[in-house]
Amino acid sequence: MKKNKAFIIGFIAPCALSLLVMYLYPVVRTVIMSFFGIESVTAEVSDWSFNGIDNYIKIFSSPTFQRAMTNMLLIWLVGGIIVLVLALLFAVILTSGIRFKKFFRAAIYMPNIISAVALATMWIQYIYNQDYGLLNQILGIFGLEGKNWLGTDMKFWAMLGAFIFGAVGYYMLIFISGIERIPEDLYEAATIDGANKVQQFGSITLPLLRSIFKTNITFWSVNCITFYLWSKMFAPVSTEASTIVPVVYLYDTVFGTTGNVQRDAGAGAAVGVTLAIFVAIVYFIMNKLLKDDDLEF
Amino acid sequence: MSKKEKVVYKEKINWKKEAALLPGYVLVLLWIAFTAVVLIWIVGASFSTSTEIFSGSVFKFESGFHWENYVTAWTSSNVSVFFGNSLLYSLVTCVVVILIAAPAAYVLSRYTFLGNKPIKTSLILAMSIPEVMIIMPIYALTAQYHIRGRILLIVLYICIRVPFTTTYLLNFFASLSRSYEEAAAIDGCSPSKTFWQIMLPLVQPAIITVTIFNFLSVWNEFFMALIFATSTDMTPVGVGLLQIVNGMKYTGEWGALFAAVIIVFLPTFLLYIFLSEKIIAGVTGGGVKG
Repeated sequence: MKKNKAFIIGFIAPCALSLLVMYLYPVVRTVIMSFFGIESVTAEVSDWSFNGIDNYIKIFSSPTFQRAMTNMLLIWLVGGIIVLVLALLFAVILTSGIRFKKFFRAAIYMPNIISAVALATMWIQYIYNQDYGLLNQILGIFGLEGKNWLGTDMKFWAMLGAFIFGAVGYYMLIFISGIERIPEDLYEAATIDGANKVQQFGSITLPLLRSIFKTNITFWSVNCITFYLWSKMFAPVSTEASTIVPVVYLYDTVFGTTGNVQRDAGAGAAVGVTLAIFVAIVYFIMNKLLKDDDLEF
Repeated sequence: MSKKEKVVYKEKINWKKEAALLPGYVLVLLWIAFTAVVLIWIVGASFSTSTEIFSGSVFKFESGFHWENYVTAWTSSNVSVFFGNSLLYSLVTCVVVILIAAPAAYVLSRYTFLGNKPIKTSLILAMSIPEVMIIMPIYALTAQYHIRGRILLIVLYICIRVPFTTTYLLNFFASLSRSYEEAAAIDGCSPSKTFWQIMLPLVQPAIITVTIFNFLSVWNEFFMALIFATSTDMTPVGVGLLQIVNGMKYTGEWGALFAAVIIVFLPTFLLYIFLSEKIIAGVTGGGVKG
């Protein structure tokens, strides 16, 4: 038994150590930091000054942070509706007995496995380009005038469009796995009873996909809260109000921007804690909802 | 098992059925055609000069194929450095993560001991903690102890992949029969030898799947690299590409930019062509029952 103990400790120690160093310590320290006035991230603990919830008051009254939160909510709501509708549509099409299903599925999922930086570069440098871009050429075919997609007024929607294109495949895969778990005989019975495809979708597929919807909404919410890369790619040098999101705001307040050298690690920590609380709320709500109606079939 | 066995026979194309599916075909094909056009154009542009790109004559190749775009990207735009770094980070992470996570997953799934449950819960919690919650203290820590260079990012990537890898392997170890260990114990095999020689090879398929995901995730990682890669010689491809795009306004070598995009995109794309079935099965297997 003694020998077993040493064996277990030896096997679990590296994993436990990485949890402590990489997660437990940083999370605790970030939470503490959010209640202190700290200028530089690297400041000694002795230079910290306790200021209660001032950091939180500061970020929530900052117009930049409010704008970042608004953008995040817009991405969550508008992007979420479009992504989930498209993903469900493709999932239904691909499970309807279509040929080359495996190829189509792989092709639609493909943007998820390539570097998002490469993907964003393709959109910015080619699709949205004003001179030779794909979108303006397509508009040209229909005799419409090209737009400056990356101008201030369109930039947010251009970013959202590119982000949606890359995201659809993932949610589609989850919908497909949900649809494929629905027993075939339900549809057969419905067909015998004279229900058409649309009726079957409305009264069999959709209700039985409830838990899959919740899974997808959870993943989408967490994805939006930590949204960063696309915002950085669409405003690479200096942060712009049109594309700012909370994580970009955090980065700028902690590490400073090109034009603004003022840093505030305490406020940055407060942003981090706020986002983590959002993630926790999402998980909590979804867990509560899921428990209520766990469908078994 | 619940799926009915289907009789395999050459099905004649049922035109009526196909016609009913036509709108579906059109939608899916439009979406994929869009993707294909973009990819093909990027490949075309990577062989063209900046003038050709701007005049919209990418596919005429009037001045021939400009392979030198790739040479420019690889050498003077530092892509070779970024590429080498990403390869190093991905490969080392993939190997070390398994060495840390597999033994942990094994004892967590097989032995009851104090702290078993809390560790399992922490692993799942760790996966859902946003990275912004951990970067600041780690930044302070690494600055305080002057930890920098490639080793820093390697350690960070390993730690970040441990929770997912351990949780993923846990379920596979739990599904193995106990009779392997009993037989090994009777033969006088020590627990750790039993693990390395008998149990670990048994979960090989799961290790392969999780390694593919670890590789993709480290290769495509951006946020940590942006914060911790402070010099060119430790920058991976994602952040490197961002630097190239930002520098493009001054160098004006658009062909080289698109060549760099292709170089960054190619490794994971090739991996996907050969392993798409495995990757897709992994996503749905691990995603739905989270």
